Amino acid sequence: MIFFIIRRLFMTVFLLLVVSLVTFAIFFLVPRLAGQTAYQLAAQYVGKNPIPSEIKTVETKLGLNAPVWLQYGRYIKGIIFGTHYNAGPDVSYCPFPCFGYSFRNQQPVWPQLMSDAPVTVSLAVGAGVLWLIGGVAIGVVSALRKGSFFDRFSMGMALAGVSLPIFFTGLLALTLFSYKWQIFPNVHFVSLTANPVQWAKNLVLPWIVLAFQYAALYARITRAGMLETMGEDYIRTARAKGLPERRVILKHGLRSTLTPIVTIFGMDLGLLLGGAILTETVFSMQGLGYFTFLAIQNQDLPEIMGVVLLASFFIIIANLIVDILYTIIDPRVRI
Amino acid sequence: MAVPIDVTTGPGGPPEAGATSSGRAIEGRSLGQIAWLRLRRDKVAMGGGIVVVLLILVAIIGPHVVGNPDLYHSNLVDPTVLRPTGSFGGISLAHPLGVEPENGRDVLARIVVGTQYSLLIAFLATALSVIIGTFFGIIAGYFGGWVDAVIARTMDVFLAFPLLLFALALANVIPYSAFGLSGNTLKIAVMVFVIGFFAWPYLGRIIRGQTLSLREREFVDAARSLGARGPYILFRELLPNLVAPILVYATLLVPANILFEAALDYLGVGLYVPTPTWGQMLSIAVTNQYWQIDPWYMLMPGLAIFITVMAFNLFGDGLRDALDPKTR
Amino acid sequence: MKRRGTIATATAAALAALVVTACSSGGTSTTGTGSSGNTTSANFFNKGITQVMNPSTHKGGTLTYESHAAPDSFDGGNTYYAWVLNFSRLYEMAMFTYKSCPGQCGLTLVPRLATDMGTASPDGKTWTFHIQSGVKYENGQTVTASDVKYAIERTYDRSVMANGPTYYQAILTDPTYPGPYKDKSPNKMGLTAIDVPNATTLVFHLQSAFPDLPYVLAFPSTAPVPPSADTGANYQLHPLATGPYKFQTYQLNKQLTLVPNPQWNASTDPQAKQLASKIVMNLNVNQANIDSLLLTNQAQVDAGGVGVGPAAQAKIETNSTYKADAVNPINGFARFVYIDTKVPPFNNLHCREAVEYAANKTTLQDAWGGPIAGGQIASTVNPPNIIGFQKFDLYNALSQPNGDVQDAKTQLQQCGQPNGFSTTMGYRNDNPQETAAATALQASLQQVGIKLTLKGFAGGTYYTSFCGDPAYVHSHSLGLCAGGWGADWPNGYGFLDELSNGNAIAATGNTNIEELNDSVINNLFAKANTLTGSARDALWAQIDHQIMTDAGILPEVYQKSLIYVPPSATNVYVQTYYGMLNYLTIGMSSGS
Repeated sequence: MIFFIIRRLFMTVFLLLVVSLVTFAIFFLVPRLAGQTAYQLAAQYVGKNPIPSEIKTVETKLGLNAPVWLQYGRYIKGIIFGTHYNAGPDVSYCPFPCFGYSFRNQQPVWPQLMSDAPVTVSLAVGAGVLWLIGGVAIGVVSALRKGSFFDRFSMGMALAGVSLPIFFTGLLALTLFSYKWQIFPNVHFVSLTANPVQWAKNLVLPWIVLAFQYAALYARITRAGMLETMGEDYIRTARAKGLPERRVILKHGLRSTLTPIVTIFGMDLGLLLGGAILTETVFSMQGLGYFTFLAIQNQDLPEIMGVVLLASFFIIIANLIVDILYTIIDPRVRI
Repeated sequence: MAVPIDVTTGPGGPPEAGATSSGRAIEGRSLGQIAWLRLRRDKVAMGGGIVVVLLILVAIIGPHVVGNPDLYHSNLVDPTVLRPTGSFGGISLAHPLGVEPENGRDVLARIVVGTQYSLLIAFLATALSVIIGTFFGIIAGYFGGWVDAVIARTMDVFLAFPLLLFALALANVIPYSAFGLSGNTLKIAVMVFVIGFFAWPYLGRIIRGQTLSLREREFVDAARSLGARGPYILFRELLPNLVAPILVYATLLVPANILFEAALDYLGVGLYVPTPTWGQMLSIAVTNQYWQIDPWYMLMPGLAIFITVMAFNLFGDGLRDALDPKTR
Repeated sequence: MKRRGTIATATAAALAALVVTACSSGGTSTTGTGSSGNTTSANFFNKGITQVMNPSTHKGGTLTYESHAAPDSFDGGNTYYAWVLNFSRLYEMAMFTYKSCPGQCGLTLVPRLATDMGTASPDGKTWTFHIQSGVKYENGQTVTASDVKYAIERTYDRSVMANGPTYYQAILTDPTYPGPYKDKSPNKMGLTAIDVPNATTLVFHLQSAFPDLPYVLAFPSTAPVPPSADTGANYQLHPLATGPYKFQTYQLNKQLTLVPNPQWNASTDPQAKQLASKIVMNLNVNQANIDSLLLTNQAQVDAGGVGVGPAAQAKIETNSTYKADAVNPINGFARFVYIDTKVPPFNNLHCREAVEYAANKTTLQDAWGGPIAGGQIASTVNPPNIIGFQKFDLYNALSQPNGDVQDAKTQLQQCGQPNGFSTTMGYRNDNPQETAAATALQASLQQVGIKLTLKGFAGGTYYTSFCGDPAYVHSHSLGLCAGGWGADWPNGYGFLDELSNGNAIAATGNTNIEELNDSVINNLFAKANTLTGSARDALWAQIDHQIMTDAGILPEVYQKSLIYVPPSATNVYVQTYYGMLNYLTIGMSSGS
C-alpha cells in the first residue's frame, strides 16, 4: 500500500510536469506559431499609448524574448527554488511554491490563488455533499420503486438536470430567487470565519444549482447500478437469511454500486476544485474559476499557469484518493 | 464539468444473436435487428430520435428558409429601455420567437442558424473523439503489455487536464488568422479540436475495457487458430462487436459536446460576433442584463439547448437499453 | 490626449445659460441649506450636471464604492484608468486638480499641492512651480519638492511602471533617464529635466514650448512619494497618503478600505472634503449586483463611473422616483471610425465623403446603447465638453440621422465608383458594442454599394499591432478602423493633437489612424503652441472643422452614461472633466 502511494506520488509529479509543459506550450508557443512576435506579445501588458522603447523594456522584463524552452526552464526552476523579482528599489523573493508574478499587477501568484481557494472549496465541497447524498438517495429510492410515479418523475428531472447548461439554470435561479423574489439578495461570497450564517446563506443558491446538475447524473447511475445489483443472487440470499431490508439495501446492495459512483465523484470533485468557472461567473463568486476567467481575458500568463497547475493537482490527487478508497470499498481490488 | 457518460457497470458484451420470437419459424436475428426491434418499442427513445432527425433537418435546410439573422429592426425596440416593444419579447407573425433587445434581430433566424453551428461543431468534435478513442482503445485493449501501459498513462495525462480551463485558454490564444485559416473557419476548427481532442480518453477507456473482455472470447481464439493476424482480428473481428458501445457513447457524447460548445460561447471564446450561436445569445443576455428586462430572450436559446440535448440523451439512453439488456 | 480620457459635460450652449452653483470648499461651508441631514431641495433628472444633489455637511458613516473591475494600479504613478485618476485624489495630492464644482466650472484647472498655476519663461521652455509648505504625509513627514521630482522620476522606469501616461518623456528634456531604480546619482535625483532649488520649488525644462504643462501635472504621477518609502511595484499596496484619506487595508482584487488621514489639513486642500468616517471599495463585483445595490440604497457609488447596465436603465426610465435621482452626462469619450486617407479608394476625398453621408447614425447610436446609455449622435470630432467646442454638421449627420443615401451616391459618382466598392474594416471583437457598431455600419454602407468585410482583433494588441500599425493597415487594406477617444485634458489640444497632427503618425501605437498630414491642420497646431487664452482656444474648432472637411474621421456618438445616485450619498454632482461623479466630495447621509 505504501509503495503504491509512493509510486503514485511520483506519477503525480510526472503528470504535473507534463501538464505544465503543455500549458506553457499553448501560451508561449502557439502565438509564435501563429505569427506573433515577442514584441507583439509584450505590447499587451503596457498601458495605453506606449512608447516603443517601453514595449521592449517590458519584453525583457517578462522574459518574452528568450527562447521558449529557456522560459519554461526558468519557470519550473522558479517554482521549486523560488523566484527573485525586481520590484524597483529592491528585489522581492517568493519561496516555494512560486508560480511567478502576475504580468498585470506584479504581485506573486500563489498568495492570490490561496486567497481565492476558500471560495471554490466552499462551493465545491458544499455542493458535493449535497449532490452525493441527494443523488444517491434518489437513485436508490427510484430503483426500489421502479416504475412508480416517484421513479418516473425523478428520472425525468434527472434528465432535465443533465440537459440544461449550468449557466442557464444559474441564471434562472438568480432571476427568480435573487432579483425577482429577493429571497437571496446580493449573492456574493462571505468568508466562513467572518460570518458562518451569511456564508451558508449566500452559498445556498449556487450549491443548489450545482448540485442539481450533478445529482441528476448520480441518481441515474445509482439507479442503474442498484437495478442490476438487486437482481443478483447474493441479495436473495441475504434476504433469505432474514436480514432487515435496510441492511440488505445499504450494506449489500449499495456497496457494490458505490464503485463507479466513487470514481465519478472523485473526478467531479477534483475538477470542480480546480475552479467552477461557469458557476462562479454566473454568481460572481471570486474563486479559482473566476480568477482563471479573468486571467485568461487579461492574458496574464503566470496566473494562468498557476491556476492550471493547481487545478491539475486537485484532479490528480482526487483520482489517487479514489483509487485508495477502492481498496476499502471493494475488497476484490488489490493494489 | 464531467462528461455525463454513464459508466457501464459490468463487462457487458453484445447480446447473443439468435433469440427467437414467439410462434414463428425460428430464424436467426442479427444484433442490429434485435436492437432495432427493442428500440422501436421504446416510445420515449423514438421520440428523442425523431427530434434529433428534425434538428438535423433544421440545421441543413433551416438557414435557407428563415430570414437574415443579422438584420437590425430598430423600429421594433424601445430606444430608451432597449426592450422589444411587442409583448413576450416581441412575438409576432413576422417574428415567431420575438426579436432581440436593443437591435431587434429576429430570434428565430438566430436560433436556426445557431442550430447549424452547434450541431456541426458537436458532431465533428464527437467524430474526432470517437476516431482517436476507438483507435487507441482497441490497440491498448488488444495488445496489452507495454503498449497498453503507455496508452493508459497517456490517457491519465489527458484526464488530468482541467478540460474547460484548457479549452478556454487555447481558444483565447488563437488570433484571427493562423495556420492558413481565418475568421470563423479557424474558430470552428479550433473549437472542434479543443472539444474533441482532449475528450478522447473518456471513450478510449470504455473501448479499452470492452476490448479487454472481448479478446478473451472464443471467436477471437478461433480466428487466431485459423491463422488470422493482429490487424485482421482487430478490424474484422473485434471492431464490429464494438460498434454497439461506440454508437451508444457517441450518441451520448454529442449532447455533452453541445453543452461544452455552449459553455465556450458563453465564456466569450466561441465564434465571432455577430455569428449567432446559442451560448452566445445566452452570454449577451447575461452581460447586457437583458434577462432582467426581457426574459423571453433568455429562454429561447436555453430551451433550444435543452431540447436538443434532451433529445440526444433520450435517444442515446434508448439505444443503450436496446443494445444491452442488462441495464433494463 | 490619450484614448481613454476622463471628461464629461453638458453642452456648452446649455451651460452658458444655466447658473453654476455649489462650488465646494473644505469641510466648513456648503451651498444649500441644512446643517446636517439630507436634501431640502428635491432632486430631478440631470440635476447633478449643474447643481449639487443631496448637499450636506454631515460627517461620519461608511461610504461604499462598488467596482466591477480591479484597478490597473492604485499607485498614482502607474495608472491610466479614468476612475482611478478620479478616486486616487482621495488619498494622493497631485500638483494640480480640477475645480470641485458642477457644470462648466468643473473644467477649470486649479492648483492643489502647487501654490499657483506656475510661471513660464518668455520662450515657454522653462516653467517654475512652487508647492505648499505645510503638507504632511500620513506618517507626519513633511512633503518636499524633491519628493514630487522623485514621484515623476519613478514613472520613467517602464519595467516597473508600465501603465501610466508617457508625457514626461515626450515633453521634458532628458527623455532617456532610466528611472530612479537605476539612477547612480546621490539621492536618486538624476533627472536633469527638473531642478529642485529649494524644498518648495520645482523648475521644469521642456524641449519646446508647451502651454498645457499644468494639465499634465494634474495626473496623479505628481503626487509626492518619499524615496525612502518607495517600494516600486509593491507601492500600490499602500501608497503614503497626502490626501484626506489613507489606506487602512487592501486585499488585492477584493477590497480596499480607506480611513481619514489625521495629517490632512483642510485649509491646504479646499477642493476636497473629509466627510465619511470610512470608505470601502469592493472590487470585481458583477455589474448587475452593483446596480441592484445602488437601487436598493445599499451602496453609494459605482466606481467605474460609466453608468448602469440595461436592466437598471429600464427600471430608472420607467420609475419617476428613480429617475429623479439619476444623471445622464456626456462623459467626454467619443466613438468614431477612422477613414484611412492612404488606403485606396479612400485616398480620394469624395469616396471618404460618401461614407460620411451614407452611415446610418441611428443604428450606430443603438449599437452603442441608445440615446441614453449610448450617446448623442455626433457631427464633430470634438465632444461638447471640450473647451473651444463648436457645433457644425458637414454631412447631415444631425438633420438626416438615418443616412443621406442621395448625397452619398453623388459622392460615389464624383470619386469614380458609382456602383460602390469593397473595403475592409478593423474593429475590436472583444468589445460587444464596437462589434455591434461595426455590424451596423456594414449594413448601412451596403445600401449604397460599399461592401465592408469586417475583420476583428483582440483589444489588447489592436493599437500596437493592427489598426495602430500603418504597415499592417496598408498591407491588409484596412480602409476603416473603429476607435474611440477621450482627452487627457479638456481642451482641443488634448483631444485633437494625437488624432490629427501629421507628426503624430507613428509606426506602432499610431493614434492618427486616418494618417492625415494636412498642412493646414499642422500649422494650426504649431500656432497653438505660441498662443494662450481664448485666442488659442479658438483654434480648436478650426482644426476640428478641417478634419471633418478632409473627411478623415466618421464621428459616431459622444458617449453618455446613465448614473444613479442613491439617496444615502451626499454632495454628489458630475465633475465635468471626468464625466463621472466627483469622488473628492461625496459623503454619507446621517440616516446610515
